Amino acid sequence: MAAQYIPEINKVHNQESPLLDSLVTETSAAQNGTARSCEGLILEGQLPVLNRSAHSQFLQIPLKLALPSAFTGLDASKPWLIYWPLQALSLIDPASIPPDYSARVSASIFACISDTEGAIGGGNGQIAHLASTYAGVNALAISGDTKAWQALDRNRVYQFLMAMKCDDGGFRMHHGGEEDVRAVYCALATATLLDIMTEELVQGTIEWVSRCQTYEGGIGGAPDNEAHGGYAFCGLASLCLLGNPLEVIPEYLDLENFVRWLSARQYQPEGGFSGRSNKLVDGCYSWWVGGCWALLEGIMPSLKMGWVPLWSKADLQKYILCCCQSPRGGLRDKPGKSADFYHSCYVLSGLSVVQHRYRYVDGAREKTLSNWSLSWDYSAEDSAVVEVSVENQIGALNPVHVLPWGVAEKMHDFYAAYR
Amino acid sequence: MSYIEEFSWDDITPIPQNDGGNDAIAPIAYDDDYRIAMEYLRAVMKIEEFSERSLKLTEDVILMNAAHYTVWQYRTRILFALDKDLEQELVWVEFVGQKFPKNYQIWNHREVIVNKLDNPIRELPFIEVMLEIDTKNYHVWSYRQWLVRRFDLWATEVPYTTIMIEQDVRNNSAWNHRFFAIFGRKEVPSDEVVSDEIEFTKAAILKAPQNTSAWNYLTGVMKKSGRPLSDLESFCLTLSNPSSGFKTQDLDITSARSLEVLADIYAEKQDIPKASLAWTLLAEKYDTVRENYWNHRKSQATAKILGAF
Ligand SMILES: [Zn+2]
Repeated sequence: MAAQYIPEINKVHNQESPLLDSLVTETSAAQNGTARSCEGLILEGQLPVLNRSAHSQFLQIPLKLALPSAFTGLDASKPWLIYWPLQALSLIDPASIPPDYSARVSASIFACISDTEGAIGGGNGQIAHLASTYAGVNALAISGDTKAWQALDRNRVYQFLMAMKCDDGGFRMHHGGEEDVRAVYCALATATLLDIMTEELVQGTIEWVSRCQTYEGGIGGAPDNEAHGGYAFCGLASLCLLGNPLEVIPEYLDLENFVRWLSARQYQPEGGFSGRSNKLVDGCYSWWVGGCWALLEGIMPSLKMGWVPLWSKADLQKYILCCCQSPRGGLRDKPGKSADFYHSCYVLSGLSVVQHRYRYVDGAREKTLSNWSLSWDYSAEDSAVVEVSVENQIGALNPVHVLPWGVAEKMHDFYAAYR
Repeated sequence: MSYIEEFSWDDITPIPQNDGGNDAIAPIAYDDDYRIAMEYLRAVMKIEEFSERSLKLTEDVILMNAAHYTVWQYRTRILFALDKDLEQELVWVEFVGQKFPKNYQIWNHREVIVNKLDNPIRELPFIEVMLEIDTKNYHVWSYRQWLVRRFDLWATEVPYTTIMIEQDVRNNSAWNHRFFAIFGRKEVPSDEVVSDEIEFTKAAILKAPQNTSAWNYLTGVMKKSGRPLSDLESFCLTLSNPSSGFKTQDLDITSARSLEVLADIYAEKQDIPKASLAWTLLAEKYDTVRENYWNHRKSQATAKILGAF
């Protein structure tokens, strides 16, 4: 990289655009409020430190204590309540994860497996769900508990994935549940980690994902639905699970329109990403949108799109550090909101994208189904792109699976050894 | 809890929750009401009991945790097994929806019920109530799309989005729905319909020239209907005239989005100097946080031209 011309792009944009329409609507009033509250926290020339110990304390709560009854609303998301803090802690403070956690994690996840369906549900005695299965398998991957890996009945998980497959190529979340691109992503990511990918499982799926791209350029939850950052990540990551991203992304997406839409997600003066046109910035899109950038950056050089990021990493870093850190620990959507485990996981995963450059290494592995998402590499981001102070440095991740670096590969290879 | 007050449960042995042992991760300290109801729920689900009392139980659980998808799915099975009055169910779901406006399980449930009922009569009024609470509720708009397609309700849709867009011209969900209402049908819209859409959108842009939702719609309509972007050149120039370059007064540029579309038009015509000027203005003055993107557009267009020689 040293031989290349490095433009001066390590700068933040703290000014609002000089063009602001005078017409006030509900949308513009909300936008104005958010911009003002962010401005109040963005200090010129100064970047706050990542309050690592406070965030770590916050994220260790589910490992140490029972959650209060206010968490009952997440009672059908138990695998997520295990995955989110583990993923976040792995990035910022892996040493704080207690040594006995591994078997505890797998026992907690196994308690969510549906007796009748064999895949993972939202909690004990609940029916199997693709999102719970994705989060649960990710948590098992982080746990590194090979005894549990051995005990998992992959055949039954495969039967469940096939049962969720729809005639049109998509997947539904659970029996009688909704069909959307999250379900596709969760099914494919799970199948890759467990090494149970088959041609039959993915028949027609890539075409279905392609149909979710909208006239705006982004990806919606299902065909005709509004373009949305969360679904955009699920769709793009699905393509990266289905084939060689250098080939399938340009073939099944209008890439130019996708990049245009993705680039429009970053706002000034906030620096963060919004999930949809004319919606507000929100810390969790640091991952959903930032993760899309990570995937695109991984293929841009090979597609002759240059190596300079097409967005401002410095501005996202600014939004995360100035606006998303809750003073009491944990990360949040935006100023005025409370921290939670979901936002902590995805804000920090977004910060990891700021700090690292991911790249798809064509041919790193044998080019077979279930290897596509494991052929990635990374390096620290160039300081000409974004200046990262040493005390703020956090870990790298697999940008397709949203798992700490190396974990997805390890789990997949464990199962592949049985072939 | 009405399930306990109204029915006898003496024959059922509650099944306690197994979180994965005493040192499970992320256990929740439930209130007793919820914990006990879930113990009964596990027990009746296990024996697949479809009864009035299990139906009542699902009602109580949903009111304590409407995000519990398993309970919704079990409820559907009970309703169908007992051949319950599905219209009455819709009335109850309306109550739940207004109590928990952010809950999205209700929309999948409603889809299953309405599909079986084969009658959409209650739907549009309820959707409108819910969209008044949250004009951009993703799940409500998605449900509306399913409904329109399932029952062929296209006639109401463009007028409805007109009202929503008049209320808030920046409501992107309404614009997206409008695109669906025009282009989502089997028959291709006539030239006249497309021209009307273009005029409607231009008028909306004049109210708020920065409004990205209207611009995306406009360029989306042009592309989908196969019209050249250059048809928009004179419209864009009325909003942004970059011809005087950096000496321009701010008054000459009222919309970053019109500059962007102009750049695309010039790039299509291979007039790279003009396109580059527009991109430079965006990068350096009007949309600076996206500077890297605009510079990328500039270098890609230049490389393309060089490659052509
Ligand atoms: Zn969020």
